[in-house]
Amino acid sequence: MCDPLIPLIGRAPHDVVFRRPGGSTTAAAFLADAQHLAAGLPDASHVVNLCQDRYCFAVAFAAALLRGQVSLLSSDRSTERLRGMAGAYPGLYALADEPGFEASLPVHPVAADASARPRFAPDNLSIRATQLAAIVFTSGSTGEPVAHRKLWGALAARSRDAGRRFRMSAGQPVSIVGTVPAQHMYGFETTVLLPLHAPASSWCGPAFFPRDVRAALEMLPERRVLVTTPLQIRALLQAESELPALDRVISATAPLYAELAAEAERRWQTEVHEIFGATEVGSIASRRTIASEVWTTYPRVRLHASRTRTGEEDVLVAGPFSELYPLSDLVERLDGTRFRLLGRRTDVVKLGGRRTSLAALNHILTSVEGVSDGIFVAPDDLDERPTARLLAFVVAPELSAEAVMAALRGRVDPVFLPRRVVRVDVLPRNPTGKLPEQALAVLRARVGEG
Amino acid sequence: MTASATGTLEPEIARLIIESLHLEITEDEIDPEAPLFGEGLGLDSIDALELALSISRNYGLELKSDDERNHRIFASLRDLARHIEEFRTK
Repeated sequence: MCDPLIPLIGRAPHDVVFRRPGGSTTAAAFLADAQHLAAGLPDASHVVNLCQDRYCFAVAFAAALLRGQVSLLSSDRSTERLRGMAGAYPGLYALADEPGFEASLPVHPVAADASARPRFAPDNLSIRATQLAAIVFTSGSTGEPVAHRKLWGALAARSRDAGRRFRMSAGQPVSIVGTVPAQHMYGFETTVLLPLHAPASSWCGPAFFPRDVRAALEMLPERRVLVTTPLQIRALLQAESELPALDRVISATAPLYAELAAEAERRWQTEVHEIFGATEVGSIASRRTIASEVWTTYPRVRLHASRTRTGEEDVLVAGPFSELYPLSDLVERLDGTRFRLLGRRTDVVKLGGRRTSLAALNHILTSVEGVSDGIFVAPDDLDERPTARLLAFVVAPELSAEAVMAALRGRVDPVFLPRRVVRVDVLPRNPTGKLPEQALAVLRARVGEG
Repeated sequence: MTASATGTLEPEIARLIIESLHLEITEDEIDPEAPLFGEGLGLDSIDALELALSISRNYGLELKSDDERNHRIFASLRDLARHIEEFRTK
């Protein structure tokens, strides 16, 4: 693999890369902050970036990269998790922006206080494309965290390509407001890396409650882009207040239903696009939700088909500076750049010779009137036990289990009808709206289906 | 607002929290001084979003974050009740 040098920032020195409640930060000022922090970092091979403020996070990531240190990104910052990471990466320390933050490992403080910093002309340093920049963790199907390695070249190239996909032009850079944490792969790519390599600036102030998002958008110059999740889109629509002109809304982390996308497009007079990605491979494709079921890969990302020994087709993803990576989702590859999503691989259920995905069933379930949330669950021995059937959990305060079942008949192939519908008050969703395997296991155990 | 008014709003907000988040507890199980998020009641950021919508519907008050580090502006039931009382528009 060739190993060119890629600059930390692919923007002009005076370009605005981050915006904060106190003002704008140019590429040059950001570099100065990063170099200043880098100079004072302890020697280590790995560092866990716990910064909550997006700007502090970005500075801490860049500083570690400049020192050749690998940033660990984990949304789980519990004492137990930090101890686990410290055990797996000897010499690990943390970068944190909360004053007085204490942990079981050494903490180096990050302050985004520009005034305390000596001004000097920074160099836009370059990093080897094959340098390991970050390790992002996901909770594996067993609940044990799984590490995904990110090389600098791939991260930088993907950011530049994302900018091209979303038609960002240097003539009129976009202002991004992101509601997703920087430690999450999607938030990391779209709100921290993107402004370093595409004509965009990223908002680093509050952006959580609908009012925060509106206030941030009002403060920013056009063309505004909102980077968010289906959950936040729903909350913003329910808040029923006007938003300033939006150039585009980008959604990821969970399927965005076409009805919700259509309502957002109508209300905000904008286009709603979804990004397809996974922590393993990052963002690789997008689509305009209301326009097509077909996803188109980012420029320079290609899909290859390969037959496994059992005759099934595996789809491999290829991109700049990254190895071929098998997609863990079940997709129908149309050609090298286009595909249809059939379901997450762990999501696919086969019963009575028929195939469907849990995501598709969940969509049907949650579109039953009176069902506000719901999920289909497959028993672990589904493949071995011919009589095994699915189970459904629903949040439906006004409906009986029988009524939910009645509504599903006729809409769901009989073989996929749940054997039991269990009513619950709420589903244990995590902050990104997903249902962690462990939480589901607890739920299943409670009704004797563990 | 008088102190007695604070006394009346706390149970009302406790009910709102329980109803909008479908918690399986009763009002007097919420310690007015205990943290609502993390430890204590154990609410998370999705709950915060849901609760913010209910509060805005019922009291015409839109919650906002103090800074990006902390969208949990309501430390406890007492703080939240006080905040709503001060800024409610209905």
